[in-house]
Amino acid sequence: MSGTTVPLALGRRRESPASTVGAFARRNPRMIIGGALVVAWVFVAAFAPLIAPYDPIKVIPSDALIPPGASHWLGTDDLGRDVLSRVMWGSRVSLSVGLISVSIGLLLGVTIGLAAGYLGGTFDLIAMRGIDALLAFPALILAIAITSSLGPQIQNAMIAIGIVAIPAYARLTRGQVLTVRAREFIVAARTIGASPLRIVIRHIFPNVVNALIVQATLSTAFAILAEAALSFLGLGPQPPYPSWGQDIAYSQRYLPNLKWWMSVGPGVAIFTAVFAFNFLGDALRDALDPRLRRSGS
Amino acid sequence: MISYILRRLLLMIPVALLVTVVVFALARLSPADPALVIAGEQADPAVLTAIREQLGLDKPLPVQYVAWLSHVVRGDLGRSFQTRQRVLEAITERLPATIELGAAAILISVTFALAIGILSAVKRNSLIDLLSSSVTLMGVSFPSFFLGLLLILLFAYVIPGHIFPPGGYVPLATDPSENLRRLVLPAATLATASLAINLRQVRSSLLDVFGLEYMRTARAKGLRERTVIARHALKNALIPIVTLVGIQVGAIIEGAFITETVFSWPGIGRLAVQAIPSQDYPVVQGVVLVSAISYMLSTLVVDLLYAWLDPRISYVSAAA
Repeated sequence: MSGTTVPLALGRRRESPASTVGAFARRNPRMIIGGALVVAWVFVAAFAPLIAPYDPIKVIPSDALIPPGASHWLGTDDLGRDVLSRVMWGSRVSLSVGLISVSIGLLLGVTIGLAAGYLGGTFDLIAMRGIDALLAFPALILAIAITSSLGPQIQNAMIAIGIVAIPAYARLTRGQVLTVRAREFIVAARTIGASPLRIVIRHIFPNVVNALIVQATLSTAFAILAEAALSFLGLGPQPPYPSWGQDIAYSQRYLPNLKWWMSVGPGVAIFTAVFAFNFLGDALRDALDPRLRRSGS
Repeated sequence: MISYILRRLLLMIPVALLVTVVVFALARLSPADPALVIAGEQADPAVLTAIREQLGLDKPLPVQYVAWLSHVVRGDLGRSFQTRQRVLEAITERLPATIELGAAAILISVTFALAIGILSAVKRNSLIDLLSSSVTLMGVSFPSFFLGLLLILLFAYVIPGHIFPPGGYVPLATDPSENLRRLVLPAATLATASLAINLRQVRSSLLDVFGLEYMRTARAKGLRERTVIARHALKNALIPIVTLVGIQVGAIIEGAFITETVFSWPGIGRLAVQAIPSQDYPVVQGVVLVSAISYMLSTLVVDLLYAWLDPRISYVSAAA
C-alpha cells in the first residue's frame, strides 16, 4: 500500500439538493406519510368553504343528532349541524393558530437567541434569565394563564401559544450561535470588517436554519394540541364558530346518550393533524439535523 | 455538592422573582376590573372606588407588585373574588386530590414504560417493539381530553356493567375501593402522554447502554441475562428517565387542568378552570404560581438526583 490517501469526498458523485431530498424521501416513508397528512390538512383548511358539504353553523333542528351515514358522513350534532363540515372549518382555526403562533415564537425567539448568543455579556444574562422565567412555567399553564388574562379569543390564543414557544427557539438559536461564533469563518468575517448585523444574518443564521425547521414543525404540533386544549376549556374561538377542542367539550354532554360521533370527528382530526406534524418533524430531524437524532430509536 | 445546592438555590431566586413578575403582570393585563367582578356591574361608583382602594388598585403598579409579593412571601395569595375563601386554603384543600391523581398517573406511566420499554429494547424489531413504537407515536399526539371522553364512553356507558363511573371523586379515607374505582380512568388518561415519552426514553437509553463494552464484559463473566439487564443496564439507563419523571412530577398540575375538568375531579386544576370564566384572578394567579414553583423545585431535585445517581457527574467544575 502506498502512503497516499485520497479523500473519500473526491470520489463521490455530486448530487443536486433536489435529488438528495428525493432519494431521502424514498428511503424515509415517515416523511412521506407525515408530509402527505400535513398537505391534506392544509388543503382542507384552505378550501373548506368549497369542499365542506354543509354550512358549519347553520342550525337545522330537523337534522339533529343523525348518526354517521350517506348524507352526513360524520353525523350531525344536537343543532343539526354537519360534523364533517365543522371539522373541515375547524381545521382553519387549528392550522392558522399553529402557523401564526409558531411565527410569533420563531421571530421573537430567534431574535433573542441570536442577540444573546452573539452579544453575550449583560444582554445574554438578562435575556436568558427572562427565558428561564418563561421555562419555569409548565407550557400549557402559561398559555392558559395568558389567554385567560387577555380574554378568550382566537387572537389571544395565538399570542399565548406564541409566547410559550419563544424559549425553545431562543435557547436553540443561542446554543447554535455559541457553537459557531468562534469558528474561523466568523473570525474571518469580523477581521475583514463585517458589521455584527451582517455577521449574524449572513453567516450565523444559515447555520441555525435546519434546527429551526425541525423545531418549527414540532412546535406546530404542540400549537395545534394547545389550541385544542384552550378551546376545550372555553378559551379559544367562541361558539358558534367551529373549533375542534370546543366541539369536543360541547359533545361531552351527549356521551351518556351514546352520541359518540360528535366527539370522534373533531377528536380524530386533532390526532391526525398533531400526529402529522410530529411525524414530519421527527423525519425532518433525522434528515436535516443528524446531531439531534435520537439514539437507538 | 452542598455548595452546588446552595448555588442552585441562589440562582433560583432571580428566576423565581421574574416568575412572580410574570404572574402579577398576567393578572394586571386583564381588561376586567376586579372591583366590578366583586361588586357586580350594577354597583354604585362609590362602592367600586372603595373596593379599588381596599385592594390597592389605585396605587402605581410597582407599589402594587411589592405589596402583592410581600403577601405571597408570607403565604397569603389573597381571597377568591367569588367565594371570599383564602386562595391558599382553597389550593391546599384540593391539593390531595391532585396529588393522588398525579401519583397514580406517574405510577402507571413508569410501570408500563419500564415493563414495555425493557421488553422492546431486549426484543428489538419484534412485534412488541413495533407495538411499543406505535404507542409512543400515538400517545404524544393524542389529545388527553379526547382520550378521556373515549374512556368514559367505553367504560362508563358502552361496556355492560358500567365498570368505571364517568367521573367524580370519593376521598380515600371515606371509601377506599370507590376512590380507586373513580381514579382508574382519569389516572390512565393523565398517564398516556407521559407513558409515550417515558417508553421512548427507556427503550433508547437501554439500546445505548447495550452497545457499551461493560455490558459485554458482564455477559462474558457468565452473568445471567436478567442480572445483566437489571444490575448493569437498567442502573445506567435509568438516569435520563429520572430526569423525565422528575419533570413530569413538577408538571402534574399542568395535566390536571384538562383531566380534572373531563372527569369532574375536584383538584386544583379544576379549581383554576372554574375560576377562569368568572374572572376570579386571585385563584388563577395562585394556581399558576404554585404550579410554576413546584415545576422549578422539581427541576432542582432532578439535578440533585442526577449527581446522586451517577457518581461520574461532578458539579465541582460547574460550581467553580
